[in-house]
Amino acid sequence: MLYINNLTKNYGSFTAVDRLNLHIPEGDLFGFVGPNGAGKTTTIRIVCGLLKASGGTVRVGGTNAAVGSKAMKRLIGYVPDFFGVYDNLKVREYMEMYGSMYGMTYRDIARLTDDLLELVNLSDKKEVYVDTLSRGMKQRLCVARAMLHNPRLLILDEPNSGLDPRARVEMKELLKNLRSMGKTIVISSHILSELAEMCNSIGIMNRGHLVAAGQIDDIMQQLAGGSRIHIHVLSETEAAVRLLKEQAKVRVESVRENDLIITHSGTEEEICALIGSLIQNQVILTDFHREEGSLESLFMQLTGGAQ
Amino acid sequence: MKIRLNPIVKKDLHVTVRSMRLSWSLFAYEAALTVTFLLALLVIQQANSYMGQGNIYASLIYLFPTVAVAQVCIVALYVPIITASSISGEKERQTFDIMMTTCMSPFSIVFGKVCSAVLRILFFVAASTPIMALSFVVGGLSWINLFYYLLAVILFSVFAGSIGIFASAFCRKSVAAVLLSFVLYFVIFGLSFVPVFLRLLFGSGNGGESMLILLGNPAVFFEEFFMQIMTGESLFGRSGGSFDADDVGLITYILARGKLWMFASAACILLMAFLFMALAAWKVNPMHSGGGRRPAKKQA
Repeated sequence: MLYINNLTKNYGSFTAVDRLNLHIPEGDLFGFVGPNGAGKTTTIRIVCGLLKASGGTVRVGGTNAAVGSKAMKRLIGYVPDFFGVYDNLKVREYMEMYGSMYGMTYRDIARLTDDLLELVNLSDKKEVYVDTLSRGMKQRLCVARAMLHNPRLLILDEPNSGLDPRARVEMKELLKNLRSMGKTIVISSHILSELAEMCNSIGIMNRGHLVAAGQIDDIMQQLAGGSRIHIHVLSETEAAVRLLKEQAKVRVESVRENDLIITHSGTEEEICALIGSLIQNQVILTDFHREEGSLESLFMQLTGGAQ
Repeated sequence: MKIRLNPIVKKDLHVTVRSMRLSWSLFAYEAALTVTFLLALLVIQQANSYMGQGNIYASLIYLFPTVAVAQVCIVALYVPIITASSISGEKERQTFDIMMTTCMSPFSIVFGKVCSAVLRILFFVAASTPIMALSFVVGGLSWINLFYYLLAVILFSVFAGSIGIFASAFCRKSVAAVLLSFVLYFVIFGLSFVPVFLRLLFGSGNGGESMLILLGNPAVFFEEFFMQIMTGESLFGRSGGSFDADDVGLITYILARGKLWMFASAACILLMAFLFMALAAWKVNPMHSGGGRRPAKKQA
């Protein structure tokens, strides 16, 4: 859906984005993370046609974004980090205005407005002035507005900034719903735990470079050199350690009483075989689980604690 | 058939007509025109009795240009303020980026902003019609002149609006855009006389071809317009009654006859307005310019 090839953006002598390569497949919910000034917003603005790239290409659904054509604009729905409001404009009129800007007929706008306001849970606010809505409602309205022309790619630049916990949960559910509808979603955020819950893949940017991209677990595995596994044995700890050390793809990280932490660089089948051999050697296991990837630790590791 | 309004015009009209600011602006505008009308009437009356002329009606014809000039001055001040804050206002409100991601072309956005300013001015012009009509009733001018005058005001508001939008496209802050608009006013209204003065001082004693630069000066256009309406003669035809094609150049000589200057000037003003709008559209288009600026800092 989104192909970014060698994307570069210079502001004078400062390089905000440096030869960025990224591919986001259709239907992905992609999280874009990075410290402030990493180049996330610059990348997003180039993809949306709001900024001219210094080099490289961006293709959205096969259309070159650098041209800023109408065809490309129809493919993208953009939700900025800040919702600017017009005084004295109702929710319905707000939707109507943006629908007209995409050349939609008033009948289509009216029909889709009803559907989308229902989707974002704002049906009862249709005749309410936009500036009287809460921040969370405004953000959801902004998502509805971005969906009005039925784009294939939805780009959200820090949609949760400034939202209260309830509004964040609502936004998270909304994005999950949109993903289930087959939309490709790119979301930039600083709230890493939420990204980890929502996104199936992420890209981590640091100082204009994409330092990692892909599925969170895959990145974790690559960085750790394998899966980190927690084992709790009831007895026979020494036998278990001895047996584990004999395995070629296992590295014992720590042993604390009956708790063991190992790194396994093998396949799923090899991990299963390891469990089997432990049981065969009379080691009684009460727990054997893979450590869940922490996006925070991954982020800190990749960005060198930049944030 | 439904007429499709430019979405920006529609939105701006919605937002404008619902605000109390419009009502108060209209009230202030009407009050200013009324005061001008009454003062002009008083001055004409005083002058008439001082001069000892018995028939005041011959002098009342000057009510029209007085009130009309007051109206044009208000339009000249008000339109750039509206348009200068339009694009920079959208940028300050952070709605401009969303607008630019839609299918609207930068020129449609700019044109929509100018149109909404002109429409807003039409509210004022329409509201002032009774006062203007009063000066026509006592001023002895025909109704068709009122129509021509409305066209001239629309032309001027398009021009003033395009200057405002041009300034707005080049400035990030509305205040800076308003200031730049008035600097451009000064250049167009004031500095366009400089070549003529220089030629008058150091040249052959008449403006000659340097007068052509005044075609783009709306002040000269209105002067010519009122001259044509009041006397049926050209400002240049009268002041340069002894013009000769060899003295002032053939083009100036031809334009100074009949109503030609007025129409040529109107065309020049429209062309300048279009140029300002085209430049503003070029400036706001991120694919053509604006590539050198870093994105604005995130709001807390």
